[in-house]
Amino acid sequence: MLSIRDLHARIGARNILKGVDLEVRPGEVHAIMGPNGSGKSTLASVLAGRAGYEVTHGTVEYLGLDLLAMEPEERARAGVFLAFQYPVEIPGVNNAYLLKAALNAIRRQRGEPEVDAFDFLSLIRDKMKLMQMDESFLSRGVNEGFSGGEKKRNEILQMAVLEPKLALLDETDSGLDIDALRVVANGVNSLRAPDRAIVLVTHYQRLLDYIEPDVVHVLSDGRILRSGDKSLALELEKRGYDWVRQEAAVA
Amino acid sequence: MNAALAEESLASYGVAFESARAVAGETEAVRSQAFARFAELGFPAARDEAWKYTSLRRLESRRFQAARRSADASDRPDVAALSPCRVMLVNGTVVDRSALPSGLRVRTLDEALRDGEPQSALLRVATGGGTERFAALNVALCADTVVVDIDERAAPEHPLHLVLVSAGAEAHMAHPRVLIRAARGSTAGIVLHHAGDDGAERFVNSFVEVEVATEATLRLYRLQAAGTRSFLIERIEATVGARASLLMHDAALDASLSRLDLNVRLAAPGAATELSGLFLADGARHLDSHVRVDHLAPDTTSLVDYRGVAAGRGRGVFNGKAVVHVDAQRSNARQTNRNLLLTPGAEIDSKPELEIYADDVKCSHGSTTGQLDPAALFYLRSRGLGEREARSALTRAFAGAVLSRMDLAPYAAAVHAVLDERLNRLLETPA
Repeated sequence: MLSIRDLHARIGARNILKGVDLEVRPGEVHAIMGPNGSGKSTLASVLAGRAGYEVTHGTVEYLGLDLLAMEPEERARAGVFLAFQYPVEIPGVNNAYLLKAALNAIRRQRGEPEVDAFDFLSLIRDKMKLMQMDESFLSRGVNEGFSGGEKKRNEILQMAVLEPKLALLDETDSGLDIDALRVVANGVNSLRAPDRAIVLVTHYQRLLDYIEPDVVHVLSDGRILRSGDKSLALELEKRGYDWVRQEAAVA
Repeated sequence: MNAALAEESLASYGVAFESARAVAGETEAVRSQAFARFAELGFPAARDEAWKYTSLRRLESRRFQAARRSADASDRPDVAALSPCRVMLVNGTVVDRSALPSGLRVRTLDEALRDGEPQSALLRVATGGGTERFAALNVALCADTVVVDIDERAAPEHPLHLVLVSAGAEAHMAHPRVLIRAARGSTAGIVLHHAGDDGAERFVNSFVEVEVATEATLRLYRLQAAGTRSFLIERIEATVGARASLLMHDAALDASLSRLDLNVRLAAPGAATELSGLFLADGARHLDSHVRVDHLAPDTTSLVDYRGVAAGRGRGVFNGKAVVHVDAQRSNARQTNRNLLLTPGAEIDSKPELEIYADDVKCSHGSTTGQLDPAALFYLRSRGLGEREARSALTRAFAGAVLSRMDLAPYAAAVHAVLDERLNRLLETPA
């Protein structure tokens, strides 16, 4: 589904990604872990098409498409979804409008008719229940005045409505208390499906107590140093990131 | 502009004045005096502070014929009705008056004079400010004065839709003049609607005087949709009495060059005003709004919130001034101006000013000019919205703060329609 080969990227003159290789197949959940500044968020941003990053080398193939050649909205319509680490507040654009416009953009791409108001509302209601969100959220500005936890829940709500093929979650667990973390994890787990891949970018292991990954990668200084199953995350928790770095240096 | 050209320009207004004088009748003396004042002031010099960001050289170089006094049906363009009661002026002359509800009267200058209204009230030259010259020219050349009276304690069910049309194939000028008097305790709404076609370059020099008497509430909805090739200069002079309110909405959407001088005097204790405006300076439009509020009495309140959007080669100017005079204790003056530049060539100049001579007051002003937030744009695009739709949604959100306050549905719909059409067109080619 997603093949990243020898990806190099920089911000200005600063090289951040220095040769990332990653293979994600449908149905898999991958966790990309790493210390601060390792390039985790850069990787998520480059995949979603955020401006300000320059890819200097490498390729990203998504469902046979050259992902890096696509505009952010083309990626979204092709089924890529990024849950933001810092969701943006947009006063004056309300949540219902955004959800509907986004859903219809994706449906048009798939050759499906736009949703009518009735179907849209019943769909949204179900998903909001899942995320334990109050309906009043719909008429509020996008993320406007939301608490940290509400913003993250709103990201997963959007993801649940848009049903992406590839979901990238950038530090979705940061700033969440344990109850909110459960709700968010529950939302993500409900979206696990054989034709959908999920990539979690996270600093801490605790999210993985709730969302069990198939593969864990350690990203450090712009490269994936080690990959393994979920036990790697536990080992990291015990031994810290330095352990992986030292092992890599020896090898 | 060199002196010879200025003289030539003045001479052409002189020709128009000579023909106006021939039919001026009893108003000749007042009009002559006004024309002399215009001739004395002339067009603003380049260094004139009140015209710092708006040059009138283009206007000064043009020659306009005085519009024919005609009531030709063919001159009446199709303007959608924003209320069942409507009065229409075409090129400065009243051509159409629908049935009006009780409590609301509309007369022409001649009718008001016949009723014994003093000339001094009907044809007053407002003094001071950058547009005094045009206020004088208006008195000299206006065809009709539309006198709108709202009777004491009247509350007409529908607002009055006052349409000032500039139309026709000739490059002519019109000097519409409106006097609105809301008598004690009345409550009414008036839509002041500038409309025009693009058949020719035209000059509209409008003067509007507003008196809101004790405990009256007047809602004024201005819709500036003059022709795209028009020069529009408008001065609105409003006086608000004790415990009275002037609530104004302004949507400046068209014209090649427009200048509004909106002067509000809070003249008695408890007078209040809310002025909420939006201007859309795209294409090559130059839209200038000068808003001044004078707090002359204690316990007066003013709230000014203007938002501007510019794109293309468009240019916006906002000058907001609140003056709190020495007697205006416990006054409250708040002023905000926010501007959005959609493309790199666009420009908005904003100058908020505050002059305070009383000591027990609450005043604030703020002004910001910026672009669409790139983070918000990316967020929307990452959800599948095209760049055009994302930019449009954010621009609407920006204008929405002002639009959402427009409490007259047909007026709000008219503003939305223009905004939608123009935003769609202007976002077709992303910056």
